[in-house]
Amino acid sequence: MTNKSIWVFGTRQVVFGAMGAAIYGVLSWTTQFLQLPAAGNVSFRPAVAVLVFFGIAYGPWVGLLAGVIGNTLGDALSGWGFFWNWSLGNGLMGLISGLAMPMINDFRARADLIKGITWGTIGIALGMIFASLTEIFVGGINLNTAVVGYFLPAFLGNFIVILVLLPILMTAFAGVAARRGR
Amino acid sequence: MLATWKYRPRDTFIQSLDPRTRLIFLFCVIFGLSIPQIWDYRIIVPIFALSLTLYFIARIEWIDVRRAWIFIIVLVIFIVGLNALLSGRGGPPSVLQTQSPTLFEVQFYIPGTKLGFTVPITIIKLWFAIVQITRMLTMAILVIPIPYTMDPNIYGVAFRRMGVSDKISFAMDLAFRFLPTFARDFATTVDAQRARGYELETLKGGIAAKLRRLAPLIIPVVMQATVTGEDVIDAMDLRAFDTNKRTWIKELHYSSRDQIMLGLGVSIFVACCLLKWVFGIGGFFVPRFFFALFGY
Amino acid sequence: MSEAPLIVEKLSFQYRTRPELAIENISFELRPGEMLLIAGSSGCGKTTLARCINGLIPRSYGGKRKGQVLINNKDVAEFPLAEVAQIVGTLLQDPERQIVASNVYNEIAFGPENLGLPSEEIVERIEMAMQRLKIGYLRERETFSLSGGEKQKVALAGVLAMKPSILLLDEPLSSLDPASAYEALDIFRSLADEGKTVLLIEHRVETAIAARPDRLMYMEDGQVKYMGPIKRLPKVIDHKKVKLPADWIVERVKRQKNPHIPLSRPEVKERGETMVSFENVAFRYSDENPFVLQNVNLEISHGDLIAVLGQNGAGKSTLVKHAIGLLKPTQGKVLVGGQDTRNMSVAHIANIIGFVFQSPSHMLYAPTVREELEFGPINLDFTKEQVHKTVTESMTTLNLNSLEEYPPLGLSFGQQKRTTIAAVLAMRTKIMVMDEPTSGQDYANYTHFMDTMCYPEVHDDSILSVNYAATLFITHDLDLAITYANRVLLVGEGTIVADGAPEDVLKDFKLLERCRIRPTSLLNLNLSLLPKTGGFMPAEDLAAFT
Repeated sequence: MTNKSIWVFGTRQVVFGAMGAAIYGVLSWTTQFLQLPAAGNVSFRPAVAVLVFFGIAYGPWVGLLAGVIGNTLGDALSGWGFFWNWSLGNGLMGLISGLAMPMINDFRARADLIKGITWGTIGIALGMIFASLTEIFVGGINLNTAVVGYFLPAFLGNFIVILVLLPILMTAFAGVAARRGR
Repeated sequence: MLATWKYRPRDTFIQSLDPRTRLIFLFCVIFGLSIPQIWDYRIIVPIFALSLTLYFIARIEWIDVRRAWIFIIVLVIFIVGLNALLSGRGGPPSVLQTQSPTLFEVQFYIPGTKLGFTVPITIIKLWFAIVQITRMLTMAILVIPIPYTMDPNIYGVAFRRMGVSDKISFAMDLAFRFLPTFARDFATTVDAQRARGYELETLKGGIAAKLRRLAPLIIPVVMQATVTGEDVIDAMDLRAFDTNKRTWIKELHYSSRDQIMLGLGVSIFVACCLLKWVFGIGGFFVPRFFFALFGY
Repeated sequence: MSEAPLIVEKLSFQYRTRPELAIENISFELRPGEMLLIAGSSGCGKTTLARCINGLIPRSYGGKRKGQVLINNKDVAEFPLAEVAQIVGTLLQDPERQIVASNVYNEIAFGPENLGLPSEEIVERIEMAMQRLKIGYLRERETFSLSGGEKQKVALAGVLAMKPSILLLDEPLSSLDPASAYEALDIFRSLADEGKTVLLIEHRVETAIAARPDRLMYMEDGQVKYMGPIKRLPKVIDHKKVKLPADWIVERVKRQKNPHIPLSRPEVKERGETMVSFENVAFRYSDENPFVLQNVNLEISHGDLIAVLGQNGAGKSTLVKHAIGLLKPTQGKVLVGGQDTRNMSVAHIANIIGFVFQSPSHMLYAPTVREELEFGPINLDFTKEQVHKTVTESMTTLNLNSLEEYPPLGLSFGQQKRTTIAAVLAMRTKIMVMDEPTSGQDYANYTHFMDTMCYPEVHDDSILSVNYAATLFITHDLDLAITYANRVLLVGEGTIVADGAPEDVLKDFKLLERCRIRPTSLLNLNLSLLPKTGGFMPAEDLAAFT
């Protein structure tokens, strides 16, 4: 696949963007009830691994849609509200992960798993930096607070999640992909 | 697990508004306060009161929003408290620059050692924290009711009518369509794994082990979606998706009450910008009475 | 130039990812108002042919296409997709995947909206489609909450709103219970009578002929083996690959040169101890909801091979979920191994009852078949040696040894189904419960699967009888109950309306009708021969008695 084709935006991207969003929303909502450990204010959102996975498997557009729409729907389902800047941050997370798509050839290979984790990590870092920085601007907090109060907990929690769950998702997908005829 | 939306049809003023009106109003307030950096309580308090009024006339049952409110309030206090402790910078630089009497000191030391620091809480810092909390809550009060009062069914068409592309708007509708399906699939998967002796209640081990134990619940749903998606693509292509400019039969109309709300929202935004940039009003300051309160 | 709206000429196709031809040298023509039934087992090329006709090939699926598909005398590849969509309407196998809108009205509007038609015309088309299928009452409903039959009609309405002249129906009956299936077939017939050209792809020929198709095309290995009238089907059509009416099968078996050797029926052993019992069970999800189960009394004993029959929504799954403790009764009690399920965790019950969910995709997750099989035993705290032993034995029983290191998600559907059975088998429970064991499989595959599970292989023992004291399977397929069960539970309106030997329960046609179960040709033939046979049996075995 060439670099150009990762920016194609057609039915395929709409469908998987929507599916990724629906799953991201559902899993964000359901897994909030699970008793996961939290260190300080680091919270874990296992669904983040799914968002990064959709980006890596289907490209930046899908990651973007899945993040923005999924976070919005997840918040709507849980009743948190509509936090536009965090939805955009989630979108950025998916979009940047999606840049890895053309580099992944074998979803089972160790090297490709590492590429996936690396891009996923860059994605969550930039996505969460974006959301935290907008908090400075909107909430009038200082940089230290944004880093300690928002960025670090969100980044660390998400980082551990993708470190553990992303390889499992990618490996499983290698199995499914073997069955496709397209 | 049945995915039930928080949205309920209600006969209220808020829900009679066009969804676009509500989003535009929301952004007018958020950006009105943040772009010109409004920190003047004389501007913030009236907007806070307006938000609160809108919140109450939305008639959302407390039982529904309780969890969200507790979360937001704890978060806001945590963040504002953290901000005050980490030097009180942020927001307007005046907080740092102005000297003001210290009310009390908060000590952070590792017990039994001299490692740590003392944070003085000044009158200015305290006032800043109060204003900051009010400002954050003003925005939260506008944002929290959205899931309860806006039908997710019309997110797609609302965005389309605000100029977002056909495909992105439809992706929103499609996500909404598949959400209950995946919620049901997830519930079925939980049942299927429980019937194999899997226990959700006892996630053993450390963080990584616990996260890994979620794989049997997450993998089937996600992989099923990757397969389903291929058929959905065919189904949509076969009904000519993305071949023409789409018609959206769902119509949205601005009524006179929408125009009033839009006018109000835009006025707030414009007023904030004008006050700050043209008249120099709206920056941070500590009112006399607050000093007086502490005998200064 | 021919007047035929659809002409397929020397059509072959090979997918880019596969080494062999998916379809080979297919030619036929269809007239307006003609209905063609296309039959064959999975992998015969039906779906590929469908994709060639609706234009997905060559548009969405890459590969080598030869020959042509002419729609109104122009090759389908030359049309823009928006135009093909207005001539060929496709109804996909699973309406759940075809429906893309949250409510019925928007779903029907989807196609015309994509064409960019003016709103007034779209509304007109929606009304027309709803009226045509008599589903006006569904207009405000959410698509998610529709029944299978309703979903199918809504999906079809969405297709009809595009005003196609050719209808392509790909296995449209597979997600429907029999009553809804016959209703759908009536609709297909009437659409053909109105002049639409209909291609009906279906492996259950017995059911599909109720739509009175004009011709039948039978495919095997990508080739057309027969094309002609339905009345005199030649011998090339294998009654093991597609489901034919029972009397046709009998006739075929009789004409065979090598006489059919009947498989010995699973022995109905003496009823042993009671293992699960329901005492006056009633259930509802909450106080505001109506009861979904009421007055259920039931004992499952050693030696039972029970078919739980009933239409969709009758309460079959709710009933079974009580046995495995996923649901606890609102009133009355359920005892498993003498203990009240209210005092047992699901994991505890999982030591006694193994449950195979309908779709393998709801449970398969592990990177290899072996790990998938180990999941249950490890959850149940088997020792390392026990896990190894039981997993190895289960793989051998279900013939999965060669796939041990293979990812279950990459297997074929039939192999996945076997993996799920093996995964439950490895848990060494006493009772096996299967929800719709045949769903998602074609006739040839599921017959083979059920034969393997239920019929004796070595001596007098089947996989089920060796490993389980009792087995229960949920189905809406009457013929499965006739062929495989030694006891039938008829479930209707939230309660058990009949319980007994298949021969006793299924002769009551009034009762069947009340439960919306339609007698099949196999049931009729079995009942008429019962004095001679003394018990129900598969159609092939009946040949010896006619």
